[in-house]
Amino acid sequence: LSEELTFEAAQKELDQIVDRLERGQAPLDEALALWQRGEELYAFCRAKLDAAHGRIEELARAAEPQS
Amino acid sequence: VKVEALDYGERKVYTVSSFNRGIADWLSRLPTVWVEGEVTELRRHDRWQSVFFTLKDPGDGACLGVTMPRGRFDALRLDLTDGERVHVYGRPELFEQRGDFRLRALTLERFGLGDHLARLERLKTKLAAEGLFAEERKRPLPRLPRRIGLVTGNDAAAKRDVLATIAARFPPANIVVAETYVQGPRAAAAVVAAMQALCELPELDVIVIARGGGSFEDLLPFSDERLVRAVAACKVPVVTAVGHEQDTPLCDLAADRRASTPTMAGKLVVPELNELLERLDRSRESVAAGVRRLVERDAGRLEHSRAALRPALVRRVEREGERLDATHERLRRAPALAVERKRAALEQAAGRLRALSPRSTLERGYAIVRRGSELVRSVAVVTPGERVDVELGDGSFGARVE
Repeated sequence: LSEELTFEAAQKELDQIVDRLERGQAPLDEALALWQRGEELYAFCRAKLDAAHGRIEELARAAEPQS
Repeated sequence: VKVEALDYGERKVYTVSSFNRGIADWLSRLPTVWVEGEVTELRRHDRWQSVFFTLKDPGDGACLGVTMPRGRFDALRLDLTDGERVHVYGRPELFEQRGDFRLRALTLERFGLGDHLARLERLKTKLAAEGLFAEERKRPLPRLPRRIGLVTGNDAAAKRDVLATIAARFPPANIVVAETYVQGPRAAAAVVAAMQALCELPELDVIVIARGGGSFEDLLPFSDERLVRAVAACKVPVVTAVGHEQDTPLCDLAADRRASTPTMAGKLVVPELNELLERLDRSRESVAAGVRRLVERDAGRLEHSRAALRPALVRRVEREGERLDATHERLRRAPALAVERKRAALEQAAGRLRALSPRSTLERGYAIVRRGSELVRSVAVVTPGERVDVELGDGSFGARVE
């Protein structure tokens, strides 16, 4: 996936893919390709969220007063 | 009295003596009247028959000679001195020998208290009508005068009281003392001059006029119109402390503040240094406390904001995570769903396909006849005794052609 892809853009694309798949309009081969793309987008978003969470914890620990 | 004129032809001429006698005679017919003025140049001698003095108008300085028989004058026991104001009851008279015009006094009175009061009341009404005593004219006294002018008598207790009070309350005070007459006919003009001289000084912020107690007459100069007007017009605020508490000379009404005593005047013009310093300290402390409180409050708010920051961020990430999970769940199911739909469509197609197969026709009662693997489509192709297979909807059996 592109380096420049943002979390929001990835999330939006993922939503569109799920919509299309659920409506069942896509040809089967294309549906499989869409699914694969969707999984990639999911993994990308999940990694972003995990990174954000880790960064929050890290900053919080750094900001704790030294006891 | 008959006055004879000499005749020089057309011209009538009088001798000096007869002229004077004529004038004297005419003057003697004028009425006896009261005249008011200030006594000056009083001359009395035990050997003289008459007492002489000049009556002077305090307004414009107009003069009138007065004579009075010494016996009458002494009998009044007035003990008059120059500068006193009197009412003289008399008649105009010409001293024929000298041609001197004068007032021949029958009696005289010191200008009475009641008359003074009435005059003062008239002056007060007039000045009040001009607005000289109006409250809105009063100026506030300086909180911290750079220079204080003090108008007072040269050895007055009033001076000592003012100076001592100011020195005790505010040692660094800068006082300029203008000593002047505070009593007698020259006092009013002298006080006005002293005030004007003080006003010439740089940095002068307030003037105190102080005079101790005295008789009603002693305090009269402080109700003099010139002095009262000068107080009202003074370019710096004026504090008066004249006489005792019950006295109210008119200058008190024109002053910006009236002090009941010279000591009180001292208190009015300077603050107490120690009190000032204490108040300053208190102000500084309360400013420091206020700033500290502000900083603490802001720090508190900041702490609060900071404490809310992390949970807010964590909540946001969690919400995104939940949404992502839900989307992912839909994604995970989507291919199976898609395949399921294709399968269903396939089944439906298969059903329709099946409906189109010959078996359903057989089930309606038709039969298919085969000879070996060959379909029998015509009676002409079979011979009797020949073996064929018959297929029905639910199965098949063998048969022989007859």
